[in-house]
Amino acid sequence: MTSLQRYWDARAALNFILGGSGAGLIIAAAFIHPASPWPVAAGLAFIATGLFAVWLETGRKLRALHVLFNPFTSWMTREAFAALVLFPVGLGAFLTLKFLPVAAVLALVFLWCQARILRASRGIPAWRVAQVVPLIIAAGFAEGASLAVVLVQTPLAAALLAIALIARLIAWSAYRGEVKSEALEGAGRALQLGAIAALVLIGAGFYFTQAALPAAVLAGVVTLASGWWLKFTLVTRAAFTQGFSLPRQPVRGTR
Amino acid sequence: MVADLRRCVGCQTCTAACKQANGTPPGVQWRRVLDLETGEYPEVKRAFVPVGCMHCDDPPCMHVCPSTATRKRPDGIVTIDYDLCIGCGYCMVACPYEARAKVDGVATKCTFCVDRIDAGLANGLKPGVDPEATPACVNSCIAKALHFGDADDPQSNLSGLLAENQSFRLSEDLETGPNIFYLWDKAL
Amino acid sequence: MKRVATYCYQCVAGPDLLTVKVCDGVPTEVEPNFAAAAVHPGGGKICVKAYGLVQKMAHPDRILRPMKRTNPKKGRNEDPGFVPVSWDEALELISEKLNGIRKKGLLDESGYPRVAASFGGGGTPQSYMGSLPAFLAAWGPIDMGFGSGQGVKCYHSEHLYGEFWHRGFTVSPDTPLTKYLISCGANVEASGGVAGVWRHAEARARGMKRVQVEPHLSVTGACSAEWLPIKPKTDAAFLFGLIHVMLHESPRERLDLEFLFRHTSSPYLVGAHGFYLRDPSTKQPLLHSALEGKTKVRAVEIGPDDEVLAEGELEGETAFSKLVAHMKAYSPEWAQQICDLNAATIRRIATEYLEAASVGETIEIEGKRLPYRPVAVSLGKTVTNGWGGYECCWARTLLAALVGALEVPGGILGTTVRLNRPMSERHKSVTPGPDGFMHYPLNPTSREAWSARPNIRNAYRSMVPLAADGAWSQALGPTHFSWMFLDGTPEGLPKVTLPEVWFVYRTNPAISFWDTDNLAERMARFPFTVAFAFTRDETNHFADVLLPDALDLESLQLIRIGGTKFIEQFWDHEGFALRQPAAAPRGEARDMTDVATALAERTGLLGPYNAAINKGALGLPLKDFSLETTRVYKCEEIWDAACKAASAELTRGAEMHGLDWWKEKGYATRPFPRTAWYLFPTLAAQGLRFEMPYQERLARIGAELEKRLHEKGMHWWDKQLTEYQALPAWKDFPGVWEGGLVAMGGKPEDYPFWLLTSRSMQYAWGANVGMQMIKEVADNIAGHRGVIINTKKADTLGIRDGQWVNIATPKASVRARAVLRQGIRPDTLLLLGQFGHWATPVAKDFEMPSMNKLSAMSLELTDATGSGADIVRVSVRKAA
Repeated sequence: MTSLQRYWDARAALNFILGGSGAGLIIAAAFIHPASPWPVAAGLAFIATGLFAVWLETGRKLRALHVLFNPFTSWMTREAFAALVLFPVGLGAFLTLKFLPVAAVLALVFLWCQARILRASRGIPAWRVAQVVPLIIAAGFAEGASLAVVLVQTPLAAALLAIALIARLIAWSAYRGEVKSEALEGAGRALQLGAIAALVLIGAGFYFTQAALPAAVLAGVVTLASGWWLKFTLVTRAAFTQGFSLPRQPVRGTR
Repeated sequence: MVADLRRCVGCQTCTAACKQANGTPPGVQWRRVLDLETGEYPEVKRAFVPVGCMHCDDPPCMHVCPSTATRKRPDGIVTIDYDLCIGCGYCMVACPYEARAKVDGVATKCTFCVDRIDAGLANGLKPGVDPEATPACVNSCIAKALHFGDADDPQSNLSGLLAENQSFRLSEDLETGPNIFYLWDKAL
Repeated sequence: MKRVATYCYQCVAGPDLLTVKVCDGVPTEVEPNFAAAAVHPGGGKICVKAYGLVQKMAHPDRILRPMKRTNPKKGRNEDPGFVPVSWDEALELISEKLNGIRKKGLLDESGYPRVAASFGGGGTPQSYMGSLPAFLAAWGPIDMGFGSGQGVKCYHSEHLYGEFWHRGFTVSPDTPLTKYLISCGANVEASGGVAGVWRHAEARARGMKRVQVEPHLSVTGACSAEWLPIKPKTDAAFLFGLIHVMLHESPRERLDLEFLFRHTSSPYLVGAHGFYLRDPSTKQPLLHSALEGKTKVRAVEIGPDDEVLAEGELEGETAFSKLVAHMKAYSPEWAQQICDLNAATIRRIATEYLEAASVGETIEIEGKRLPYRPVAVSLGKTVTNGWGGYECCWARTLLAALVGALEVPGGILGTTVRLNRPMSERHKSVTPGPDGFMHYPLNPTSREAWSARPNIRNAYRSMVPLAADGAWSQALGPTHFSWMFLDGTPEGLPKVTLPEVWFVYRTNPAISFWDTDNLAERMARFPFTVAFAFTRDETNHFADVLLPDALDLESLQLIRIGGTKFIEQFWDHEGFALRQPAAAPRGEARDMTDVATALAERTGLLGPYNAAINKGALGLPLKDFSLETTRVYKCEEIWDAACKAASAELTRGAEMHGLDWWKEKGYATRPFPRTAWYLFPTLAAQGLRFEMPYQERLARIGAELEKRLHEKGMHWWDKQLTEYQALPAWKDFPGVWEGGLVAMGGKPEDYPFWLLTSRSMQYAWGANVGMQMIKEVADNIAGHRGVIINTKKADTLGIRDGQWVNIATPKASVRARAVLRQGIRPDTLLLLGQFGHWATPVAKDFEMPSMNKLSAMSLELTDATGSGADIVRVSVRKAA
């Protein structure tokens, strides 16, 4: 029986979800005090799982290394290279935290590549806009900060999350100004409400200090859920091509 | 390639001829004809639009391809090397013309019947003029709507059609330089 | 790899010529026969249907062995229990029945043939059935009047009246020259085949304006310069409006007065009783010295049954004056009220038509100077059949006659004859008839000669004088009567009986005719049905024996091509084409010629069978290559003789190539003069006139038929007799179907939609509904997945695109997905093609219904020619 596929499915979406969150987590790890190797390890695990998921989507799995053949123009190749460098450096950072800043920069590169993968997809109006890049990066930050909050549970992490959430809100509204897609309606609203709810929770934590940590963790969870839902929707459901429209109607016989 | 929208009747003969010549599986149509309606009753227009791979000058599918399986030949035809393709599907989402489908693990699309063209050229035949060197869809067209040839050759059948008629290409704003030209009226 | 040349005649708009690529003995691909581009009117191309032929051979559900039924109970819900049998056993089963009939007598107690046969597809099966016609001819009387679509699905009124007026069994614009075409529901892009599509594309390229008048924006509407969404079944009002403008609002000299005066019945004097005034001694009609006016002459007026109605100094008015007066009431404003098209638009179209007609211009063709009138009106299904068909065909022919565009370059042409003889040569069928018009083989209506006892069950000879009595006439009578009267034969006809043996080939009436559920129920009562079967289907579900015939690319046959044939198949060449096996038949499938020979042998008819072949049953007389009547010939031997005869005919005896030569070449032609496309010079040369505008002959036979029927106490045809009018008047044609709804127990306001159908290019006539590839590509065209509803109207009903809806009459309902489109009138629904399959593999899973289940078979919906139309009043609601 012939297999047939026309769009990316959940496996590709998982790469954007887990890869984005993992990269964000490694970036966040660079800002956390006291520094800890565990967020780096978790971040790498997330990225690895995402890449594994997308590997499952490829049609010819044994040819995986072919993904490296086109660094000149393909952001997918660049993403693969970024991952290839990130993993040893990340492992180094896990063993000795002095590599952490380099790992964070590489994670940012990885995240950037992911954003550019979408932007280079000229077939899909919801992806090909410039505003998708800050959105994916800000979302990665926010998700990474959320994971950091859950993992290390410090006020600084919560503050980081608050900043990332504001960045995500701004990036989303810029993106939304460019892309009007009905398919993103629900997930987009959840993203905004999720960010506002998370910000309220974090804000409340400053006043009710005894509840600050659980509130921050809850904020992280809300951020993650809303961010992941958006990416899932963006990759699988909003991946409409623009369709076809005629700039001119043919003249049949006479005008 | 030229598709004369004034002539096309949406019969899908080209769709069927392509499916047969290329052995594409059920659900995969490298060439197909859209049935597009515009306007509101009673001011309605309906047009039939042959689509498929546009063999763009600047093909986004090629740029995104991580394996270099998708390439552009010097004569302009965009090809896929099935031995290189990893089936990531990135080209499918990069193509603005819904021209690609992943079949049995690799990306597939219209090749302009490149084997037929090459075999024809090797025998001294002229693509677009001699059936043996012309894509199956063009050979099959019962309305003389589809034409094939070398647009860079000012003497070619294609250049003549483009000079005598007004044409457009689909989604030109994306600046991929698609190479199916749609004729819609005589030249001014 | 080799290429095998053959032909495709899957639809009436064929044949087209193709080659099959065969690799290692396996057919892999069909292609146009590029070599034929020079002779074929469609550039040597083949349409989408032909591309399904390779897949057809390999169909996984194909019947590959003869089968017999084991379940004696027949019914839709009964499993036939087919089991494979040998060919010998299958043929024995059939010949046993047939030999029994030969012993009992070929006719039953009602005088009807005990053997019946049905073939579908507008005559296309003839190009696939090999020598079966020779067996049928050898057998004797066979009832071929059990319809499977004829009448309700064809251009029935056009067939009969078109052939009557200008040998136009099918009528086409002279597309290569026409400049202005009014197309009332004709879907040439869907039904005109390759030649139609090719020629109309060429015509558009040179600037022909086509105005499509149709309730929905069909493919043809899409490809036209203008679309006028007319209310269903009101085309006659629109055409009458055009005629009114030409007769009452335009200067008289804009018409072709010379043509009207010299070549039509316009100057004939009509008496007070509506019949021609005749010379008292010669009985020939008297002509006025001018086109219009009244005069007194010494004359006699003779009515039906030669009754003298008046004699002496009689006042007569010209037929043209009668016409002018008759059309006075049909103004564009009047038409607007009926057909929902703007009066100003109707006026503009009439003016454009008149302008484009170029009255007075001539053109030289092959050295002959002929009138040049590049205007035409074409009519489609549902316009040319059922009530209103006569009026539309008359109006169309009159529109041509008024500007001299009848059978001249650029105008309208008849392209084939099926009721007159000889069928292969239209011009030879033009012989002098009464009153200065062409002869037409009307079924007699005189007291002495009227056929009181029908020869077959549909009674065409008794009821439909225009159906004539030739080889095709049985299929052109009221073919639903054979089915309908099984449940009650009306007064005056012998009781309609079941045929004892029914042969079915390439037809599926159980889904393709009207009222299909009831039809299937009647079919289940047939005692012995033999179906040539490709796959299981809804009709052979009721069969007793299934015979697998070798398919299109597996069998052998030679046919005539070129000259002038159906639809747009008028060529500059004529000749023959061979269909030959590209591969051996799969399984035990057998060539139809071998099956026919075996049947002839087993029924003791070998002598008459071979004699019928010699006489011309293969499509041409074998003459010098005749078969010995006592010998059993193989398929190849029979067609070898046909090939030699064809060669000899083509070259006037100079060559006599056999089968091998034809297999190599595929086809051979000789030039066919283009002047032979036009009938006008042939009539003019014989001093004959077109029988336009006044229909004295039809009025006379109508009146005579009425007398004959009433003499036998038959009053059930009275409504149909009103169609026989010398000058047809508008009647409330949509009201006929509203009446049909009321008869079913519904109120028009509760069933506010007109449900129509339209041909699908990918399927029409093709018997290819079980082909996955065809379904896949057809689905690219709107309407193949459900019922088309106007978007705004659907919105008011809360129906969204893709939702399931119920389409219902008071008696039946079907489910369909809603396909919302802007290009359809808000009061109209469209179901493409005819699906609704429940047994055919692949197609039974389409979830695509057919209007055939909804349309009632009734006398009220039958017109005088015996045809109905594809239209029914329905409701539509969201399905639960």
